[in-house]
Amino acid sequence: MKIIWGLLFYHLASWQILAVEVKGLAQVNYVLADRQTSWLDNGTGILAYSKNGLNVQQALVELSDSFASGLSYSLVANYYQTGEQNLGISQAQIAYKPLSNSRVRWRTRAGFFYPKMSLENLDTGWLSPFTYTQSAINSWLGEELRAPALEFTVYSPGRARNSAYSWQLTAAAFKANDPLGTLLSWRGFALHDRQSLHNDKVPFAAYPSVVQQDRIFHPSYVEPFHELDGRLGFYLGAHLDYFSQTNLRYYYYDNQADPLAVNYQRLYGWRTKFHSIAFQHKFSQSTRIISQWLSGSTTMGERVVDVDFNAWYLLFSHKVVQHRLSIRFDQFKVKEQDLVVWDANNSDGYAYTFAWRYNMDKHWQLGLEHHINHNNAENRAALSLPQEMSQQQSMAVIQYRW
Amino acid sequence: MIRLYVLCLLLSVSSLSQAINIKVLDPDGKAVPNVVVYLEVLDSKVNEPQSDTITRAKVGEALMDQVAVMDQIDTQFKPHILAIQKNTLVKFPNSDSVKHHVYSFSKAKTFELQLYKNLQADPLLFSKSGLVVLGCNIHDGMLGYIYVLDTQYFAKTNKLGDAKIELPLGKYQLKVWSPLVRDDVSTLTQVIEVTKKQQLHNINLQKALLPNLYEYEAVDEFSDYE
Repeated sequence: MKIIWGLLFYHLASWQILAVEVKGLAQVNYVLADRQTSWLDNGTGILAYSKNGLNVQQALVELSDSFASGLSYSLVANYYQTGEQNLGISQAQIAYKPLSNSRVRWRTRAGFFYPKMSLENLDTGWLSPFTYTQSAINSWLGEELRAPALEFTVYSPGRARNSAYSWQLTAAAFKANDPLGTLLSWRGFALHDRQSLHNDKVPFAAYPSVVQQDRIFHPSYVEPFHELDGRLGFYLGAHLDYFSQTNLRYYYYDNQADPLAVNYQRLYGWRTKFHSIAFQHKFSQSTRIISQWLSGSTTMGERVVDVDFNAWYLLFSHKVVQHRLSIRFDQFKVKEQDLVVWDANNSDGYAYTFAWRYNMDKHWQLGLEHHINHNNAENRAALSLPQEMSQQQSMAVIQYRW
Repeated sequence: MIRLYVLCLLLSVSSLSQAINIKVLDPDGKAVPNVVVYLEVLDSKVNEPQSDTITRAKVGEALMDQVAVMDQIDTQFKPHILAIQKNTLVKFPNSDSVKHHVYSFSKAKTFELQLYKNLQADPLLFSKSGLVVLGCNIHDGMLGYIYVLDTQYFAKTNKLGDAKIELPLGKYQLKVWSPLVRDDVSTLTQVIEVTKKQQLHNINLQKALLPNLYEYEAVDEFSDYE
């Protein structure tokens, strides 16, 4: 028996050594917050922090392993100081990419993950290596979008054809993610880096039109990853790359939710569909621009809420030795299309984000960021708040990665 | 005794050897770097057929001790082109902080190798001559070549298109190989006689090179580009 245990332990130990790769990252910040209360604290401000102070901004571990057959898995676990759920999984996937010598190849993955729409979220755990406060588009994807999905991709690396161009086509089907669009319709776009965890609950202000029993009677939170109607959603994507210098990605996402579906928490299905185009061009090894444009619509109930939304950003980033300087401009808008006058959904705004990040060595990074936005949300009036507000947030961040 | 014999052999070779210079030029007369140039023996003046076999045997043994290196640095194979003699061991270290999954479908050596960071994979023996094209299943942009030769007389041209090879006097076939050369390489083969005289052999390519994708392939410090 001892021998069996010994052998088992030996195998486990050697498997551990050979197999699992552990990456991690932690960020601690000092924030000078805006005076508007954040949606995370049930306010209507669109920045993550409500008070000045010291915070754990990010803490995550990524476990991954790959096998000779082309099978691999990865899992990202996060800790967040902010929000309702503090500890959980943000991504988990199993991928299969067979070894191939063909000009056109295929791969597949299954799990809970992001479609590869973003060219901003390139760092471990889907973080942005450029700014701490992410674009309005990817802040939203991080908080509301993800689903148990099965994704299939055909691709052709330029190298296989002795060509400068690589391409890929992706199609996926997914369950759940039915409440996608709730936050956009009521809170509007926000700018932050908090990704919702697997069973997370994202709060927002208790707008009377939303929470009152004689109105929509919806809780002042959303759990974005629920399955409510049994329908499958899908997304389609296409990537075109010129070497690794220029990248273009197009995605169409449609959760196919039944807008009349509702669960015991009174969370609704929101039929959300959108297009996303992301572009990156590197002028040199040190200088790049990244841009993304997103446009779509969501509807809930019998057009109780029906909105169009669109947003774009342009990010410029330049690296001098170990110093990375980035500046991003965001513009975002949610436009009401329904006729329910007592539930206002119009919101819009623009933002500037400036960041400096300095790699002291391969583990430690120091950074400063300043963010300014001006935004407008009609439904603040119902809470006796001014509809328009300008917000500012500064932070100093120390990051350790291993 | 064996050492003494090898020493004598080396001395005898050196007295009968000569360094030759080779320059590879494109149709515009511009130097072509990173071209493998090699010489195959037609008739060596290092006679004594007996010693020749022994030399080969010795070389064969020595090769087992000698390990060539194909590293992974910044998500690229370094060197991009590695020329080795048949029966050389090649080590595949991983200097990156990410995992690699190196593979080859080439006839000269078909293999796959998982390269975890901070872990050393055992070296591989390349016992068949020919071209081995390397890829990485995690990073589709990675491309590398191992050119396995039947001869011990080979070099790669430097930035100035120059290569220098020291070899025994005799008659050889001078050949070249590069993934960018579009000429039929057999038309570039020259028969040369290595004598005690200093020699420079120009290899003039007739066709323009293929675009150098490797040089263009900028490395990105962020990895999510598959």
